[in-house]
Amino acid sequence: MSDAATRSPVATFRDQYAELMRSAFLVDLQYRASIAIWIIWGITEPIISLGIWWSIAAAGAVDGFSREAFAQYFFGVALVNQATLSWDAWNIDRWIREGEMNYRLTRPIAPIHEAIADNIAYKAPTATIILTAWIVAAAFWPAVRIPFEPGRWALAILAIVLAAAIRFLNGYATGLLAFWTTRATALVELQFGISLFLSGRIAPLSLLPPRVAHVAGYLWFPYVLSFPVEVLTGAVKTSAQYARGFTGQVIWLAIWLALYFLVWTRGRRHYGAVGG
Amino acid sequence: MPAAIVATEISKTYDVKVRDPGIKGALAALVRPRYRQVRAVDNVSFAIERGDAVAFLGPNGAGKTTTLKMLTGLLFPSAGRAQVAGCDPWTGGNAFRQRIAFVLGNKQQLLWDLPPEETFRLNRAIYGVSNADYTARRAELVDLLVLGDLVDKPVRQLSLGERMKCELAAALLHQPEVLFLDEPTLGLDLEAQQTIRNFLGEYRERHDATVLLTSHYMADVTALTSRVLIINRGRLLYDGELSELVARIAPIKRIELVLSEPVPRARLEEYGRVAHFAPPSATIEVPRESATHASARLLADLAVADLSIQDPPIEEVIRIAFGEGEQNAEIEEESPVRVDVRRAPV
Repeated sequence: MSDAATRSPVATFRDQYAELMRSAFLVDLQYRASIAIWIIWGITEPIISLGIWWSIAAAGAVDGFSREAFAQYFFGVALVNQATLSWDAWNIDRWIREGEMNYRLTRPIAPIHEAIADNIAYKAPTATIILTAWIVAAAFWPAVRIPFEPGRWALAILAIVLAAAIRFLNGYATGLLAFWTTRATALVELQFGISLFLSGRIAPLSLLPPRVAHVAGYLWFPYVLSFPVEVLTGAVKTSAQYARGFTGQVIWLAIWLALYFLVWTRGRRHYGAVGG
Repeated sequence: MPAAIVATEISKTYDVKVRDPGIKGALAALVRPRYRQVRAVDNVSFAIERGDAVAFLGPNGAGKTTTLKMLTGLLFPSAGRAQVAGCDPWTGGNAFRQRIAFVLGNKQQLLWDLPPEETFRLNRAIYGVSNADYTARRAELVDLLVLGDLVDKPVRQLSLGERMKCELAAALLHQPEVLFLDEPTLGLDLEAQQTIRNFLGEYRERHDATVLLTSHYMADVTALTSRVLIINRGRLLYDGELSELVARIAPIKRIELVLSEPVPRARLEEYGRVAHFAPPSATIEVPRESATHASARLLADLAVADLSIQDPPIEEVIRIAFGEGEQNAEIEEESPVRVDVRRAPV
């Protein structure tokens, strides 16, 4: 019998998270070369997009986007994407298909906490690396300097945290479909393809055809990338824009949280506990 | 004191998709999927008292692991009830999980890239073990399992046997009341198997832990427990002493011979029933009580290179006992009695 009963639940939970993050960080350190390659891969896409838009904007601003605005936007995309990316569906798929979920289900902590700790342990240092690279670049390249506004930066951090939570729950809940189907990761890849356009990865949303931008507004994609980037770069200006963005984030967070609980509770009952 | 494990009429039924072979079958399954119900566990009931050790035996696919997975809360049953360590496994939540451990011989929880010590630390936090208890329990487990400096080597550099020892230590740091072991010695060499058996016996005695294990190795069963549950095709066929079952159902011993000179089959028939004859090897079945005498006669009369006396394989006992016909069994048996003819008194 363990001693959990004699300690406060908060202290136990904090201790659990600290150790989960510690072990995840130690595992990441074993894969530092791979992680360096993933970071480079992650920033390649926004750099290519920036190169293209930089050329297009040579003759003048495109729908209000100057060369500098594009530079700031895509630096923002690189940072926000690193802080919010989601790989959990592939992990869960493996846990379920190869029986690695079994021991996780016999531990007195839900497997989602391991995934959250893993995300924090990976994203905090890697996003810091990208932020540092941005600061260094800003020292030499005025185009990527954003105005010093601590209040806005604080809101940007909040928007990034909410975006990370939505993307995480989106990936995790979709991954849990592996309780029923072997195609859960394909669904995630499909969403990734759509998000290239609808989240603002390859172009700011305001440059998309109005109808596409309108459709995107009803989905979660703009709230996980475009909105936090625009808060960071100062493109979001009015209170109404802030209110619309944060409200959208909270609604989608609630939806994906509800979907996670639904899929988790149903999936647990459906689980075949394969392997071993 | 209530029993540590009580299973009451638990069943598990799976829907299995039926598909005819070939492209046509695959397309038909897409358009109109058909399902067949497979009863993996059928109305199984038993009770195990606190501190007891019981082995679950049966051929592959008999329902042993499915039952264990239900009792550990991994799988929800299609019918029936259970109480494990005073909790309902399916609604007991974390309070239940604190009281049990489930060790799977072919799946590990150790963090692959880090030394086992890191998994120990992690489990200390996950199970909310106090630092003082952790230090004492870790020291005890390291000592009993003779882990030494293994705890500081990356798991990926450990042998299978070393990993299993560390796996057990990680699983027992929270000192569970009930220990479920699914093939704990699977694939290990004889020495590692023995270490784990000794450890489990010692640990159970020290902590009054209840153990329910499945194993393909009869030596695991005979070393750790005398009571067995025999399950086949999802149904519990026997619950009692193994020795009683063997004596009652198959009151024979098998003498396995390796002959150094050719002997006709008919000559061997003089000693008992020849169950297997593939020169230079042969197996003769004799009544239990005359096994020693028959062996002595064989050694005296024939040119025998090797001889061992064994209980009939549990698969065969099951088959004889319940007339189940052919089974795709893989249970292995180690010889409980082995006679080296070069040294044995004849």
